[in-house]
Amino acid sequence: MAKTYDYLFKLLLIGDSGVGKTCVLFRFSEDAFNTTFISTIGIDFKIRTIELDGKKIKLQIWDTAGQERFRTITTAYYRGAMGIMLVYDVTNEKSFENIKNWIRNIEENAAADVFKERGEQLAIEYGIKFMETSAKASINVEEAFFTLARDIKTKMEKKLEASNPGTKGGYQLKATETQRKPTSWLSRCSLL
Amino acid sequence: MENQQQDSRAQHYELFLQEIESIDEYWGPTFRAIYDGDEHQKFMEQLDSRIKSHDKDIERMCNFHYQGFIDSIRELLQVRSQAKKLNNEVVQLDEDLRQSAANLISKGEELVRARKVESNIAAAIENLSLCLPVLTTYAKLQRQMKEKRYYPALKTLEQLEHLYLPRVANYRFSHQMRENIPKLRENIKEASMSDLKDFLENIRKFSPKIGEVAMRHTCEQIGSEASIVGRKKRRLPTQNSFHNIAENDSNVESSYDAEEDLSAQDLIDFSPVHRCLHIYSVLGSRETFETYYRKQRKKQARLVLQPPTNMHETIAGYRSYIHGIVGFFVVEDHILNTGNGLVNRTYLDEVWGMALSKIINALRTHSAYCTDATLMLKIKNLIMLFITTLRNYGYSVSQLFDLLHEIRDHYNEVLMQRWVQVFREILDEEDFLPIQVANREEYDKVLETFPFSEEGTETLSFPRRLPFSSMVPKVYRQVKEFIYACLKFSEDLNLSQAEIDDTIRKSTNLLLTRTFSGCLSSTFRKPSIALLQVIQILIDTGYLEEATVYLEEFVSNITSAGGESAWLGSTSGSRSVLGGPPTQGLSTSPRGRGMFRVARDDAERQICEKLQMKLDEFLELENYEWLLVEPKGHASSFIVDLIAFLRSIFMSFTNLPSEVAQVACKSACNHIAKSMLSMMLADDIKQISMGALQQINLDVIQCEQFAASEPVVDLEEGALLEYFSDLRQLLDLFMTWDWPTYFHDYGQEGSKYSKVNPNTAIILLEKLREADKKTVFSVLKKSERDKKKLVETVLKQLRQLAQTAQPS
Repeated sequence: MAKTYDYLFKLLLIGDSGVGKTCVLFRFSEDAFNTTFISTIGIDFKIRTIELDGKKIKLQIWDTAGQERFRTITTAYYRGAMGIMLVYDVTNEKSFENIKNWIRNIEENAAADVFKERGEQLAIEYGIKFMETSAKASINVEEAFFTLARDIKTKMEKKLEASNPGTKGGYQLKATETQRKPTSWLSRCSLL
Repeated sequence: MENQQQDSRAQHYELFLQEIESIDEYWGPTFRAIYDGDEHQKFMEQLDSRIKSHDKDIERMCNFHYQGFIDSIRELLQVRSQAKKLNNEVVQLDEDLRQSAANLISKGEELVRARKVESNIAAAIENLSLCLPVLTTYAKLQRQMKEKRYYPALKTLEQLEHLYLPRVANYRFSHQMRENIPKLRENIKEASMSDLKDFLENIRKFSPKIGEVAMRHTCEQIGSEASIVGRKKRRLPTQNSFHNIAENDSNVESSYDAEEDLSAQDLIDFSPVHRCLHIYSVLGSRETFETYYRKQRKKQARLVLQPPTNMHETIAGYRSYIHGIVGFFVVEDHILNTGNGLVNRTYLDEVWGMALSKIINALRTHSAYCTDATLMLKIKNLIMLFITTLRNYGYSVSQLFDLLHEIRDHYNEVLMQRWVQVFREILDEEDFLPIQVANREEYDKVLETFPFSEEGTETLSFPRRLPFSSMVPKVYRQVKEFIYACLKFSEDLNLSQAEIDDTIRKSTNLLLTRTFSGCLSSTFRKPSIALLQVIQILIDTGYLEEATVYLEEFVSNITSAGGESAWLGSTSGSRSVLGGPPTQGLSTSPRGRGMFRVARDDAERQICEKLQMKLDEFLELENYEWLLVEPKGHASSFIVDLIAFLRSIFMSFTNLPSEVAQVACKSACNHIAKSMLSMMLADDIKQISMGALQQINLDVIQCEQFAASEPVVDLEEGALLEYFSDLRQLLDLFMTWDWPTYFHDYGQEGSKYSKVNPNTAIILLEKLREADKKTVFSVLKKSERDKKKLVETVLKQLRQLAQTAQPS
């Protein structure tokens, strides 16, 4: 069968319950906004194909449940993720503070070498890219995903070149981006 | 001899003398005879002697009478004087007489004249007395005409014609009168006809009012009957709705007051009809009049029956239409009763029959436009009142009930349309999340609107989560509203309790199986509805199902049918189930599923479909290398992800009813197996290497592991694995290259490869063969050549099998 894509990137959305992970994803995959808050059960995903530099890239974006009770299910997905988006709610300070915890969580569950590399940058605001987005107003959502995808692509291609003589397979998470999300407060004001 | 001659001569002479003496004049012959005899001398002498003898006789006679003569003279003289005297006297007398007679005559003449005058006068009087009544009558006639009292005028005319006029037949005026009589008759006819026309015009104007009053009376009658009989409570809204009609426009109400207690007949003066009828009867044209009247009224009927063009817009339009019709037939009824046969039952029935079909048509057409249930209720009440009113007047109205039944069906349709909206709104607003209640108060509030009971209600802790979403009480309430709205129309329709129940059951059934399910399925189609919500919907419909028994009870209460009639596809037995856990209730009460079954089935199907869609997304990520030489040693990542996802789904959705979970899991396995198989068999994959096949085998093993791991509870053993058995047998056959067994066991019960279709095998084998051709060096090896040969043989055999198997 002819390949329908060149790369498959698995991305992960992580953050406190209710910060708007599903909304961001819904905006990105359906270009729509849903005002009702429905907490994700376990894990869900959406797939969207994008094009970067003439390459067809399938983004399989995993949307995790923020709730503690699904933690065992969700953490299992950390390992396979090639990019992680940390999401918090700009109107909820607690959710921002928790980002640290989420990063720790990632460190514990994802492959170690990623964080060796990334750990050096952690000192300066964790050294990760940052974007403020709105799922409701459709601001920066697209850009956030594209930026993430591009970073992964660059790193992967670099690595492919580098490992040409080498044999070690598999790729690891290279970029983690924190996204500032004003989505939640908007999504909660369903009447606006 | 001489002597003798002498004698004879003498004698002869004597004879002549005698002849002369005796004859006075005719002497000729005698003289001739004398002369002829020649003896006339002698005769002359004879004659002289005769004269002398006569003279002597005269002398002697004179001497003798002389004295007497003298005396006579003297006497004569005396008479003369006396006569003279007498004459004088007579003259005198005559004079006197003449004088007195003249007087008399003049008096007499006067008398004659007077007599004549007298008799003339008498004659005149007599004649005049004959004429006088004619004139009086005529005058009376004129007066009556002027006063428009045509019937008396006609009588007068009759009198004039037959009684008085013949008596004065030979007068010119009577002649004229006589000539005028037909004209007068015509005038009367025309005048009374014009009165009738006024009446007809009037009645057309007043008909609606008459109808209105008649209907109001009926309405009051119903009201008073109801209060006397003391109907059941549930009837009360009906009365109210009747009153509502009257109260709707207050200006109408006020006009009612003015005509309080006026019957329809009081509103209009019917005398022109009666008069006209009399007149025409008298004039012998009753037939004409009857025809005319009926024709005119039929025309009016047609006008009345023409509904106003915008009738369907407001109840006022219907009302004025109905009032007009009622008015018309109330008037006709009155004419029937008082019109002396002007209209009869047959005629009226005919008109009514014609009207009825038109009314029904008009009402049917117009109400069909109606999409407003409230308006339809008003129409129904109006028609009911219409029916009652006209039935009271003796018209047959049964067809109108049929119409009402039709309208009822339409009304139910309209209701359903409305409820589509209602349901849509509910579903649009709904987030399909379990209801959260913060305290007992909120909890009780929910339970007020929906029959739900939990164990240990007394010791519940708050805040708590109810198992269903807010859609459940909302929909439940709306179904009740719907039932109530349905019932509102069925009331008073002359329906039996069973029929009402039946109607409501049918409508509610339709509402839930069609309308509600339709709304739900469009909800499902929204991308924002997640699996979780579909599951919640499924659970919700389960609770709604359980509540149908309460709906049944509700209907029984409002129709007073006595709660025994089981309907809504439910049994009263299912009520006991409600106390138990809902999932159990759903599975153990098959008869209680009833009308929400369709929605539930739909939700169940949706769960499977949503799941399948997710699986498809994974399956689309498939990136097999079909010419792989060696398998990777582990399952493909898309399959690993898929299985992990599936596993997490059944782990996470703890609220998914187990029977649904089973169905969903089965459908997922079926879908995966089918998709994997079709991937291998796809037309655009021309070659498949053994290595690729082995990779697929690894993936299928992954799936089988999942199937064997009991991902959902209570599945019969091996049920899920069964879905992969086609794949498994096919892969086993190719992995082990066990063709002898395949051919040997083919068609036998319990064969190891019983599910491998020769055609499938052919396709796959051909793909394998194609893949092998790529290996250039293979032809050099003997073993490879043998293998190739074997493949060809197997293919040949398979084709034979396929051919023989084909007919079946």
